[in-house]
Amino acid sequence: MKIKMWLASVMLGCSSMLTNAAVDIDKQAPDFSLTNTQGEQVSLADFKGKTVILEWTNHLCPYVQKHYNSENMQDLQKSYTDEDVVWLTIISSAPGKQGHVSAAEAVKLTEDRNASPSHVLFDESGEVGKMYAAKTTPHMYIIDDSGMLRYAGAIDSIKSANPADIAKADNYVKMGMTSLASGEELQYKKTAPYGCSIKYKS
Amino acid sequence: MINHIKLSCLFLWLICFHTVAEPTARNTDQATQPHIQVRLVSEFAQLKPGVNWFGIWLRPDPEWHTYWRNPGDSGEPPKIDWILPEGVSAGEIQWPLPSKIPIAHLVNYGYENHSLLMVPLTLSDEVKYGATLDISADLSWLVCKEDCIPGWATLTKTLKVASDHQPSAQAGLFDEAREQLPDEVVKSARYEITDNKVVLQLNELLPDGDWLLFPFSSSILNHAGAIQHIETAQSSTFVGAKSDYFTPSQNSLRFLVSDGQTGFYVKAQMNNAVAGEVLQAKNVSATFTYTTILVSMAMAFIGGVILNLMPCVLPILSIKALSMQRTSQSTAVKLAYASGVLVSFSVFALIIIAFKHSGSTLGWGFHMQSPVVVAALAFLFTFIAAALFDMAPAGNRLAGIGQGFIQQNGFTSQFATGVLAVVVASPCTAPFMAAALGVALVSSDMITLAIFLSLGLGFALPLSVLFWLPGLTRKIPKPGPWMSTFRQFLAFPMLATVIWLLWVFGNQTSPMAMMALLGGLLILFFALWLYRRTQRTFAHVAALMFAVSGFLVPLFVLTSPSTDSQATTLAFNKQQLAALRQDNQVVIVNMTADWCITCKVNEQVAFTSSAFTQALAQPQVHYMVGDWTNKNDEILGYLNQYQRSGVPLYVVYAGEQSKEVLPQILTPDLVVKAITKAVNEVNDEN
Repeated sequence: MKIKMWLASVMLGCSSMLTNAAVDIDKQAPDFSLTNTQGEQVSLADFKGKTVILEWTNHLCPYVQKHYNSENMQDLQKSYTDEDVVWLTIISSAPGKQGHVSAAEAVKLTEDRNASPSHVLFDESGEVGKMYAAKTTPHMYIIDDSGMLRYAGAIDSIKSANPADIAKADNYVKMGMTSLASGEELQYKKTAPYGCSIKYKS
Repeated sequence: MINHIKLSCLFLWLICFHTVAEPTARNTDQATQPHIQVRLVSEFAQLKPGVNWFGIWLRPDPEWHTYWRNPGDSGEPPKIDWILPEGVSAGEIQWPLPSKIPIAHLVNYGYENHSLLMVPLTLSDEVKYGATLDISADLSWLVCKEDCIPGWATLTKTLKVASDHQPSAQAGLFDEAREQLPDEVVKSARYEITDNKVVLQLNELLPDGDWLLFPFSSSILNHAGAIQHIETAQSSTFVGAKSDYFTPSQNSLRFLVSDGQTGFYVKAQMNNAVAGEVLQAKNVSATFTYTTILVSMAMAFIGGVILNLMPCVLPILSIKALSMQRTSQSTAVKLAYASGVLVSFSVFALIIIAFKHSGSTLGWGFHMQSPVVVAALAFLFTFIAAALFDMAPAGNRLAGIGQGFIQQNGFTSQFATGVLAVVVASPCTAPFMAAALGVALVSSDMITLAIFLSLGLGFALPLSVLFWLPGLTRKIPKPGPWMSTFRQFLAFPMLATVIWLLWVFGNQTSPMAMMALLGGLLILFFALWLYRRTQRTFAHVAALMFAVSGFLVPLFVLTSPSTDSQATTLAFNKQQLAALRQDNQVVIVNMTADWCITCKVNEQVAFTSSAFTQALAQPQVHYMVGDWTNKNDEILGYLNQYQRSGVPLYVVYAGEQSKEVLPQILTPDLVVKAITKAVNEVNDEN
């Protein structure tokens, strides 16, 4: 009994060391620099003074398809980039894993789906995804014009792959952006993301 | 226009998706789709009125899995929308025991083999024998390996309603699935949230095994985190990493506890100071179930009826009964008396509730777990017993009031009679009221109100019956000396209650404290006797002082330092802490409370290890314990210094040079390391 307890507590000690709180809501969002489809380096710091939305994606994930095939994601991208918001679509799928695409494929996907992100960024090493504790595709983040992380979580409130649920759900990104625009506190700052696990390298 | 296009796109897509996802023809009970076969099965080949067991049989390819009700970090549970003929209704899915499926950096809960999701379908009696019914399920699921594929299918089974009931070919699946179901009994538990952990405690021991915790909601635990399971003397505790998405709520949390072979559900209530103490009840069954509430209400009702026989109630009621029989009255008037009684009792209950709440905001909660409250109740009941024996000064001063009212018969006067019967009779009703009060003080507001209303209903009943059936007037017992015999007899149940309270008190404290309480009760009796024997003021004052001092005796014993703590343990004291630090000593401060699960777990795990005891044995190391069980300002001030509003809090001081706040969940290693570090710092200074 004693030994079991001791082992358990050692394990617990280890596990708590491993869980690193990388990002915090209402704290400065950590900077990162990734390559876009044109082969240019894009950093968060490039967009000082602008609101930035991060979208983790994997075009083969049914939950991503739910939001793209229904045009829900494109609508969000369009309406916010029109308002001078920066929309960064990030792919953290490692080479050989589901959702990993070449720059050319990414450009084609954007065209085919009529999407309008400001940039599509590649995070093959998964470093940025892990820094932001991105778990699923989609996983959404809102960073305000002062560089503070204001929202992290699910795109909306109904966890399903069924596009019919989109209309019934509360869209957390929309709600967050609306609150931000009116200077109010966000009602939902952090929610449990839903979707496919991000296919990280390890 | 754009919207229109969008909608039609969505529509088209839906159609495409469904046609792709649903290659099989209509009216089929099974579907084969990428990486999974699904089938709607029935335990019996025919339907019968009552419960029929159906199931969704999910057979993923090897290495693919489907999900439990909470899928964990990602994924989605299967969803069943039943399409049922009239007279048939579906129950809840009976989820088999899931397993923990690690996928890369995430953890999912689900089924790696085939699973049967059993659902009871109930046929009403109106469904006729011989009828053929279509049982259909619109099913959606997600089947995953690392990648996931969602699927949809509508499965239909057509069965006849028949009295001849034969097991179907799949009946064996149901027997197998039943083996995989958790127990039906839902156990209660408490949970506590610390900085980054969720702590769940069950008041029982679990057999040896790898017990895992599966929360119903996905935003409670960090699913990938390890679950620590600790068995202590009387309870099992689970500590898991708190989910990043945890939002505190007052609601209960639900879990499945499973070792893979067996399992049971747990409904956990938030552990706060008061709730914790109620649940922690060592000997008092303070957790009121539905039945105990009903029993309490029934007892209160009977108590209310008995109140009518009290010496200061029965005469009034007799007068009333005699005066009213001449005239017949309207229903309103007949009900007026009962309303008066009920209103009075409600007011009384509300006063108590308000009193209780003001008390808890002031920090003195009424709960049976506090020995002081138990002692006070023992005094109260002893006093009531004395009053019933005519030993205590409980005069009948109010009894003469309102005689005029009572003899009239209008609505107002009837209502007033009700009110007065309660007020006027209070000297005699006190024993019952006090008993109800005792229960009320340790119960929730609704129960308090329910108990008092039951008492009121019982009290109002006999006379109200007489209003409706005046013929019964002759049957009411005549007032007489028997009433005082009856009254004295009632003192014995009161004394029995005192015995019970003493037993509770003894268990909570020590035989010594119980002796002190008995001594205190003796002094109370002496004081009462003294009061009755003499008419002199000074003797009355002395008696009062005696009574008060009687109460102080057990309190004194309670507050004197307990002897069972180790000699090396110091009670928390700000000045002493400052002095020790000035003296360049190492001090470990442990702020704890009896009701704090985390504190107790830490004490079991980290503070009982031999390494810790050895570390404490060093001459310059001191262990100081602050007990926050009965909250006090000194400790609150200390907690606030560290931006905490509750326990546990562990701080290790190295003289005045440094201090280290330890995490809320400790390991023996962690504490010993912190002490060693502090000792080295102190030694370097010397």
